[in-house]
Amino acid sequence: MVYYIASLSLILIGLYGVLVKKNLIKIVLSLSLINAGIHILLIAIGYIDGRTAPIFSTPELRPEQMVDPVPQALVLTAIVIGLAITALALTIVIRLYDHHKTLDVSKIRELKW
Amino acid sequence: MMFDPVLMIALPLLAAFLIPVINRFSKAIPKYIPVVVIGFNLYESIMLLPYSMVKPVIVIIAGWQPPLGINLTIGPLGNILALMISLVGFVVAIYNIKFVTEEPTEKYYMLFLLIITGATGVVLTGDLFNMFVFLEITSISAYALTAFIRDRNGAEAAFKYLLIGGIASTMILLGIAIIYTYTGTLNLADIAQKMQYVDPKIALAAMVLLIVGFGVEAELFPLNGWAPDAYSQAPTPVGAVFGGIVVKAGVYGLARMIYTIFNFEGVFYFLMIMGLITLLMAEMSAMRQSQIKRMLAFSSIGQMGLVFIAFGLATQRGVEGALFQMLNHALLKPLLFLSAGYLVYYSGSKNIEDLDGMGRRKPFLAFFFAFGAFAIMGLPPLNGFWSKMIIISETIRNGFVIVAAFVLAGSVIEAVYYLRVVGRLYFKKHDDNQQEKYVHGSAIFAMSILVILAIVIGLYPDLVMQYLKPAAEELVNKSLYIQSVFAIN
Repeated sequence: MVYYIASLSLILIGLYGVLVKKNLIKIVLSLSLINAGIHILLIAIGYIDGRTAPIFSTPELRPEQMVDPVPQALVLTAIVIGLAITALALTIVIRLYDHHKTLDVSKIRELKW
Repeated sequence: MMFDPVLMIALPLLAAFLIPVINRFSKAIPKYIPVVVIGFNLYESIMLLPYSMVKPVIVIIAGWQPPLGINLTIGPLGNILALMISLVGFVVAIYNIKFVTEEPTEKYYMLFLLIITGATGVVLTGDLFNMFVFLEITSISAYALTAFIRDRNGAEAAFKYLLIGGIASTMILLGIAIIYTYTGTLNLADIAQKMQYVDPKIALAAMVLLIVGFGVEAELFPLNGWAPDAYSQAPTPVGAVFGGIVVKAGVYGLARMIYTIFNFEGVFYFLMIMGLITLLMAEMSAMRQSQIKRMLAFSSIGQMGLVFIAFGLATQRGVEGALFQMLNHALLKPLLFLSAGYLVYYSGSKNIEDLDGMGRRKPFLAFFFAFGAFAIMGLPPLNGFWSKMIIISETIRNGFVIVAAFVLAGSVIEAVYYLRVVGRLYFKKHDDNQQEKYVHGSAIFAMSILVILAIVIGLYPDLVMQYLKPAAEELVNKSLYIQSVFAIN
């Protein structure tokens, strides 16, 4: 249960940061926080207390003693995707800073509808 | 001769990462690689068509049977969309050969191939998480391509797109987490089968998250704020790729979610209303744009609104109309973007006012643009007419007369702003002497392919409709899809 609360609060903190913060770096950080929260949520879904990884090295290990490995595989993929997004976001932030000499998102608004 | 359909995803991926290596040996080769690889995709998706029309082609990967392993499920719908994606990709790849001069060109080709990989993967896969991964491949390459021209506005547009796209991807992941918790599977057909046992409240939460996630790429109102900036700041061929490929992948994801996975009746009304708002908002914004690429971007959003209205009808004929409209949009929007790219290149300005008199000096280009504009407005002998007519008549037949009236009003606005540009091209004098530049033969060839296809489809719409019928059936009748995946065991 504590994992669910932790992950949901991470997601909410991240959403708050993306919506409210003005600093570009903080926005990117908040985006990673949302990602981290969802990763913890996914892991928590697959986790069952007192069970072990489904590795068939010991023959006496029975299926009901194992946790679900699929969420962990999903999280591994999702971490890589999150990393790619964060890295790309930071390069774009660097370029924005080069052009505008500021990290304040409210001062960067040349494109409008 | 037919190859393994997995190659349609694997080959562009391999080629994309080989391009930087090849570029070390020869600077001339990388620009031809996309043409060859996407040409193979085009060939393969045409060869698959007779098989997938009869029953979906299931490709089992690494010997894992459908509910457990990741598999490709190539039904009529996926195959037609893969064909659309590779057709647009092929045309843009030919156009790119001479047009892309901004360094580093090899990175441009690499990202372009990654978009093709991702979009093809989204439409072919039969696994929800796999779909998410491919959508991320598509969108991350799209963010990078938006910032490809290193000016201030390019970075700003890319950051906007990345932020909204990044949040959308987390929404999809959250939706997948909820679905996996309650169904214990990620296979699309298996989820669709088990969804009826899930508490409707939880299913609704998952559906909202997934609609928001896919809606961003599909340009659904109000998630489309990124589109005008990204379309206008990215290099012009990339605008064509966004309109013809990225958006199609998003719309496919959205349609797959609401038709196959979930069964809520109310969501169709929601989609229709949102589509109507998307259409009207976009057409009215397009009206007051002074830059041609921004105008085309808003027009692209408007066309997607029309597609959503047709999907919202949830009838066989309505879905056929939606798919037909998507096909026409995939042919015409790249044509408009590619010709506008050269028009902007010659006049040296993105503004519509500076295009005066181009019809005299560049008759070919102006013809391509005018043709695209007429077809997308829905002038009778051309292809845009048929899809619009199917959608509007089907809307009226289902009793949504007011919706049909608004769609017609939107079409009138559309005609006004396209004719304004076409009128400027032909009927305004402009005697400012600019240096003569010539249109590249490869670009003319690329655009001619689109024009010829548009004329053929306009004259013989039944040629396409016979393929769209089973595709629409796959969406409307979801037990067909579920059965075909499990029939393999």
